[in-house]
Amino acid sequence: MLPFAQVLLDGLFTGSTYALIAAGLALILGVVKVVNLSHGAFFSLGAYIAYALSTKGVSNPAVAVLLACVIAFAFGVFLGKSFINPVRSHPFSVAVGTLGFAILFEQAAQMLWGPHPVSIGAGPPWAVVDGVVVRRWGAISLIASTVILLAIALFLHSRFGLPVKLIAEEEEIAGSVGMDVEKIRYLTFGFASAAAAAAGVLLAPATSITPTMGRVPLILSLIVVIASGMENIAAIFLLAVGLGLLSNVSAYLFSPQWSYVSLLSVICLLLLLRPEGLSATMPGRDY
Amino acid sequence: MIFSPRSTTGALALGTGLLLLLPLAGLDHFLLDVLASGFLLAAYVGSWDIVGGVAGQICLGHALFFGTATYSCALLTSLAGWPFAAAAAAALLLSTTAAAVVGTFSGRLKGPFIALLTLALGELAHEVALGQTFFSPRGAYSWGGEGGIPVALPWGSPSPWASYYGALLFLFLSTWGMTRIARSKDGLIWTAISGSELTARASGVDVARHKRRAFLVAGLLAGAAGVGFAAHVGRATAADFSLELSFQAATFAAIGGRGTIVGPVLAALLLHALFQGAGIAPAARVLLYALALLLVLRFFPAGVAGTLRERVRERNMVPEGASR
Amino acid sequence: MNDLLLAERIEKSFGPTRVLRGITLSVGREEVVGLFGPNGAGKTMLANVLSGLIPPDRGRILFEGKDITRLSMDARFRAGLARTFQIPGAYPTLTVVESIRVALLCGEAGQEGKRRLPRELEEEVESVLHRTGLFAQRFWMAAKLSQGCLRRLEFARAISCRPKLILLDEVFSALSAKDEGELTALLRSLRRDDGISFLLISHNPLILAEMCDRVVTIEDGRVTWEGKPADLAKYLPVAAGHDHGP
Repeated sequence: MLPFAQVLLDGLFTGSTYALIAAGLALILGVVKVVNLSHGAFFSLGAYIAYALSTKGVSNPAVAVLLACVIAFAFGVFLGKSFINPVRSHPFSVAVGTLGFAILFEQAAQMLWGPHPVSIGAGPPWAVVDGVVVRRWGAISLIASTVILLAIALFLHSRFGLPVKLIAEEEEIAGSVGMDVEKIRYLTFGFASAAAAAAGVLLAPATSITPTMGRVPLILSLIVVIASGMENIAAIFLLAVGLGLLSNVSAYLFSPQWSYVSLLSVICLLLLLRPEGLSATMPGRDY
Repeated sequence: MIFSPRSTTGALALGTGLLLLLPLAGLDHFLLDVLASGFLLAAYVGSWDIVGGVAGQICLGHALFFGTATYSCALLTSLAGWPFAAAAAAALLLSTTAAAVVGTFSGRLKGPFIALLTLALGELAHEVALGQTFFSPRGAYSWGGEGGIPVALPWGSPSPWASYYGALLFLFLSTWGMTRIARSKDGLIWTAISGSELTARASGVDVARHKRRAFLVAGLLAGAAGVGFAAHVGRATAADFSLELSFQAATFAAIGGRGTIVGPVLAALLLHALFQGAGIAPAARVLLYALALLLVLRFFPAGVAGTLRERVRERNMVPEGASR
Repeated sequence: MNDLLLAERIEKSFGPTRVLRGITLSVGREEVVGLFGPNGAGKTMLANVLSGLIPPDRGRILFEGKDITRLSMDARFRAGLARTFQIPGAYPTLTVVESIRVALLCGEAGQEGKRRLPRELEEEVESVLHRTGLFAQRFWMAAKLSQGCLRRLEFARAISCRPKLILLDEVFSALSAKDEGELTALLRSLRRDDGISFLLISHNPLILAEMCDRVVTIEDGRVTWEGKPADLAKYLPVAAGHDHGP
């Protein structure tokens, strides 16, 4: 029986990693201006890469993160360049297409690794405080996520981040100033996908790895982005951590199923109570 | 809007004729079963096309209506002891109600958010169906979860021929009905909404109301397909609510040609019959569907029938075209 | 109240930006009122508010004496208040005939699609086609029309509800002289034969001087001047630095 504090701590670690996924989704929403339903699949990709490496005896998280980022970035750029960019202005194609990619990955994962959960050992604890175990994955997740998120925030506010911000806010100006908007779009997609895959590697020791494991992070990050908007990295972080805690607590108090159900309920409520959501960023005719 | 009424009916009649004669060619029971399921699946996909193709709403949770019907049949007959006919009627009512609710919520939402809402609702239903604790009746057996719930049918186990012809009849009637609806005034207004909601509003169209109506019709027909499926398979399983099933509706419709009704129906029937008949594993099948979807969306967004229809339209673009 | 349309103290802000700062405007029966102003003055936003696309933060709108401030865009259309869009919104998959059919089906007040025989509906469609000069292109895909025809399709859609007032948002901009001539003739005939009022939004003072009974100028979300179109030329130097007509 886990002490409640353990559940909270693990929730904090999980949530901070979810913030990474959510930030990636927010970037895609802001720069590529699409609702990306394949985002969860990249998370799963990271987790499965970590698993595949561990079966080969490689358990260094840095190696896993690096490999996952490279693969996910490549896939993301490919997907962004060959599919997302050309069909951006058709909401149906984007929604169903990104969902299609997610399902394609789920089926491929099932064929490669089977439908049953697999796992990576959580490893020896880093520290034990008052009976609460601080696991290695947890500490690394928290540190890595915070660092990456800070880096993203700094980047966006710096000179180098200006092109990205410009595309997000004033699309027409960006084009007329001679920026290669399409390129920045697919690079952003690649980067965000890599971030999601990194999160997958970080969280892999903490969870059971299944083909459909990406659905929960997808819904969760959608909630975060819809509720807190795309601008505010701090809000994204806090809300993601909050949801991570909530999700962990409900999984502990009731059953793991309930965390997915409660997330789904939250997003339904959010969509019904806040229909204006992010309409300003959708391409197509303005309303 | 679609192919001329005469040619579509002709093609339908020919196709139906072929399918009527097929069992006489000595197909084994497995293939007859695959085809019967295929007919029901095709009707289900056609129903998606009403709301997703003609009305252009991105519905990613169509399995919600299908599963509501199958589970209603199963629960009412097995747990509550209702006769199948009454359970079927209730199933239709429930799936239509679910559709009305979803349609009402979608009234105010824009495309991508309707996609999210329908996806979330479908997944919610799936999780609820999967949760074993919800459906344990008093007695020796525990129902629910992956295994599903049986449907108490009045006719024991049906002969493959009866299932085949029953499903075929259902497909024929529902496709005929759906094409009629798509060509009606409602269908025209739905197509307008699908093309440009703003222009439709500026033309006096009460968009929210018509969206709800589209969902209603689609939900009713999906529910009917669900009732048929419950009768055919004799069991309601959580897969009836699955995201894969919702996804297949949108996928076959996109490949066949959204808004053409016949395109999605044929695409569903042919692809399902071919792939499952060939014995390809479920995961591989869905993977191939997803791949086909991505290719179609990227290079032929109008789908097979849709691209044909565009060509026909372009030929008609002469000032002195014959009156229609 | 003699005014057909009366907008009182309309205010609209988006975040920190105040786009409309208390606009009061009226259009009388069978009157053509021009709305003039530089880009960004708030003309299209005002059209959006008046037609029901966006609700105002403050103020009210009366149409034929009734308060329509909270009425939806489609309800306003059925009540006889139509509008055209600066970028014509043609349905990508419908022909000209079908586009007009939609507006006729839904444009009648009371209930959409009153019990018409198909023959009656087709007669009305043909009448609208002839009125707007689109009969030759009736089987064309609406999205493939030329700019001039697209604008005429906007008119066709707008007159399908037997409107009393049509908001024209920059309907004459970027047109060839021939197309412009045809459209002005159409506007005149609609005014003369059907007694329709118009609120004509344009940044082209020549068009306004030619077509309007009265002109209102807007700058920075406020009404800055109102008067006869002939006097607009005297007022022009203030706005002269901005856009001129083609």
